[in-house]
Amino acid sequence: MPFHLYFLRRLFFVIPTLLGITALAFIIANAIPADPVVANLPQSVLNNKEVVDAFRAKWGLDRPPIEQYFTYLGNLLQGDLGTSIRSRNPVAQDLAAFFPATFELATYGIFFGIFFGVGFGVISAIWRNSIIDYVLRTFSLIGVSFPVFLLALVGLSIFYVQLGWVGGPGRLSVRLPEPPTITGWFTVDALLSGQWNIFTNAFSRIILPSLILASFVSGIIARITRSSLLNVLSLDYVRTARSKGLRERGAIWRHALPNAMIPVVTVIGLSYSNLLTGAVLTEQIFAWPGIGRYMFRASTSYDFPAIMGGSMVIAAIYVGVNFVVDILYYFLDPRIRFA
Amino acid sequence: MKGSRLRLMLLLILVLALSAVGVRAQEEQVLVVGHRESTDFYDPARGYTQTTGIVLRSVYETLVTFPDADTSAIVPALATDWSVSEDGLTWTLNLRSDAVFSSGSPVTAEDVAFSFNRVKNVGGSPAGSPAVANMASATAVDADTVEITLNAVDPAFLVGLTSNWFAVSEAAVVRANGGTDAADAATTDVAGDYLDQTSAGSGPYMLESWDKTVQTVLVRNPNYVGTAPYFDRIIIQNLEPAAQQAALAAGEIDIALDLTSDQMAGFNADEISIYRGPGNLIHFILMNNDPAIGGPVSNPLVQQAVRLALDYDGYKTLWGGVQPAANLAIGIAGALPESAALSRDVEAARALMAEAGYADGFEITMDYWDTTFQGVNLNTNAQKIAADLAEIGITVNLSPGEIGPKLEAYRAGTQAFGLWFWGPDINDPSDFLAFLPGGKVATERAKWPVEGVAQDVLDMIEAARSELDEARRLELYGDLQLFNQQNSPFAPFNQPDIQTAFRADLQGYVWHPVWLVNLSLLSRSM
Repeated sequence: MPFHLYFLRRLFFVIPTLLGITALAFIIANAIPADPVVANLPQSVLNNKEVVDAFRAKWGLDRPPIEQYFTYLGNLLQGDLGTSIRSRNPVAQDLAAFFPATFELATYGIFFGIFFGVGFGVISAIWRNSIIDYVLRTFSLIGVSFPVFLLALVGLSIFYVQLGWVGGPGRLSVRLPEPPTITGWFTVDALLSGQWNIFTNAFSRIILPSLILASFVSGIIARITRSSLLNVLSLDYVRTARSKGLRERGAIWRHALPNAMIPVVTVIGLSYSNLLTGAVLTEQIFAWPGIGRYMFRASTSYDFPAIMGGSMVIAAIYVGVNFVVDILYYFLDPRIRFA
Repeated sequence: MKGSRLRLMLLLILVLALSAVGVRAQEEQVLVVGHRESTDFYDPARGYTQTTGIVLRSVYETLVTFPDADTSAIVPALATDWSVSEDGLTWTLNLRSDAVFSSGSPVTAEDVAFSFNRVKNVGGSPAGSPAVANMASATAVDADTVEITLNAVDPAFLVGLTSNWFAVSEAAVVRANGGTDAADAATTDVAGDYLDQTSAGSGPYMLESWDKTVQTVLVRNPNYVGTAPYFDRIIIQNLEPAAQQAALAAGEIDIALDLTSDQMAGFNADEISIYRGPGNLIHFILMNNDPAIGGPVSNPLVQQAVRLALDYDGYKTLWGGVQPAANLAIGIAGALPESAALSRDVEAARALMAEAGYADGFEITMDYWDTTFQGVNLNTNAQKIAADLAEIGITVNLSPGEIGPKLEAYRAGTQAFGLWFWGPDINDPSDFLAFLPGGKVATERAKWPVEGVAQDVLDMIEAARSELDEARRLELYGDLQLFNQQNSPFAPFNQPDIQTAFRADLQGYVWHPVWLVNLSLLSRSM
């Protein structure tokens, strides 16, 4: 199939998916047996009809749900996600403020996750059933099964408090000024503006939470990489490559690994989406001002515009990353190209 | 030659200037407070939460206040003296003449009247406090005199005036940013957003920024007429308790406001000091009096059985503190002492259960906020309550949850069996009125109707509300506490100690029952 046809076909599926998600998020938000009026107005004015009516009118709560939904869709098409009841800022502005922190953390997390996950998986597959295989598989199992919040607390206690190897909670020491905003990533912005001390401080603070996020991701990636590579290594074409006299390293890296990566790429895509949509516990413990923290606060105060806006962004991230993964398949899997 | 000398001199000046900037930057004294932020607003007419209170106390001033360390007396602040009319309905307060706002403008009676009328008419949470609700109007008599008229006699009015919602803000600044004190301020005042990001007060600090859910920054007010505070800048960083524990140990923050005893246990005493003292939050169980909602716990016999079944000493072992006799915090004038509190009597509780027709017990769900607040973990308390009540046959299913839905049900009075805590809105026994028949918590949240309550009790409540003779007033509140101890749908079980950990070089830390901590009193030893 030509690339442009494949591309358009995948893109075509994105639109109904996003629409479906808006409808689903709206239905769930409205089905919750909770009243945002009670959650957001002080009790002293709940009996004041004028104030309550003004609140309902301001947030569109006085209109039929179906009308609310189509108004929301209309605004969405114009890039307007509404205004947060809690922060009183436009939701798009809030999300734009919180997303870079999550984006930076998630990207570091997935980078470490891929590095350790693929590395461990390949080593385990090559030295299958050896001591090193057992050790790495145990590590992977711990990474997958150990609660993230516990890892975070233990990590903070050992590497921050006891050893002082890493920085503490927050993106940057509160005693340092934020770097000028260029990309929204503190580590990158500090480097671009030549603020070395800010870079080192920001980097020392992102290392631990990103490694903790990576521990879970790398555990899954390592297990998938190992099983997928073992499967491919037993296939005829690899045996043929070996019988042609190709060295083991060449057979693995040039012939087996690219094909073994197809399921791994899927897992990486899903994991990255997961990290990008906010790791609530990690962000809470590390005082990381990201999407997870924002959505948590929105959910606990029935801040429907923020919940809807956040859900849309999360959905768009999932759909977007999966779209990229689909495109990667085209290049990794010859069966798609020649189908 | 001449040119190179000039260049050398310029270079020298530049180096000296840069060093001066560097030294100044180094010398800036910064205090970092780790705290799980609960800010709702920084607008004094709207804010009501714990974090809001800490910040407003540093940024705004009130007409009268308490001493730094206790609530033993009402002392002047922006007002120098005051008097009340013979009918007790009109208060006249004279202002000090030297106070200025952070803008440099003088604090006038017009600013006071504007601020007080605004807090009443904006209708935010502070408008629900008894002192604001009872205020008819505030008027500027002249530049230095303000007159406040009440709807009804209120013996606790001056105590109410110490609260942050009676903070004085600069009328011209607030008006210029959309504020109004008009009767329709609830729908027309839009100064909240402005006051959330900056301040218009006369306190020792100014609000520099509030990065919601991240941090609040205060800077020293250069025009403050009182003793200048030690710290140039205060940063209140929003941290979970676990992060506070780590950051305090590492020296990154100076104070951790929300740690439990367990989290404080491992600190090095040379580096970290711990303040422990009596707190004023009362942890209690609410039992809905409406049979359709509360079911078995609406039965007064069951309510008394629950009170007798609780292991009060066990909660003190967990959190320290005292056992209150009723829902009036020990430490507030008129509160009965701990010796007047109930004792555990499981046999008597079982007998009451049998008398109520529940000899075989029953099952009930207890709702509570899944949190740790001021060092007390509500999950731990909930588990202990379940264990205590199991001994008299009540099976308690625990239903922890987020504050939003739990608070909504609590406020709406639809919660059957809830675990809550209460911090006094006002440091006066009149705070207890909320838990008496006709009061906010009793009527709206516990559905305890006035109908059916003996007339002499209702008369006693009315008398306590307006009695100007202090001794008689406190006596009435004492009797009402004993009444509630036997008849109310509440089971107050612990008033835990307060505990705060801070770096050992920090000086001047005092916990205060009204504003928790006055940050402007803190300094660092050299």
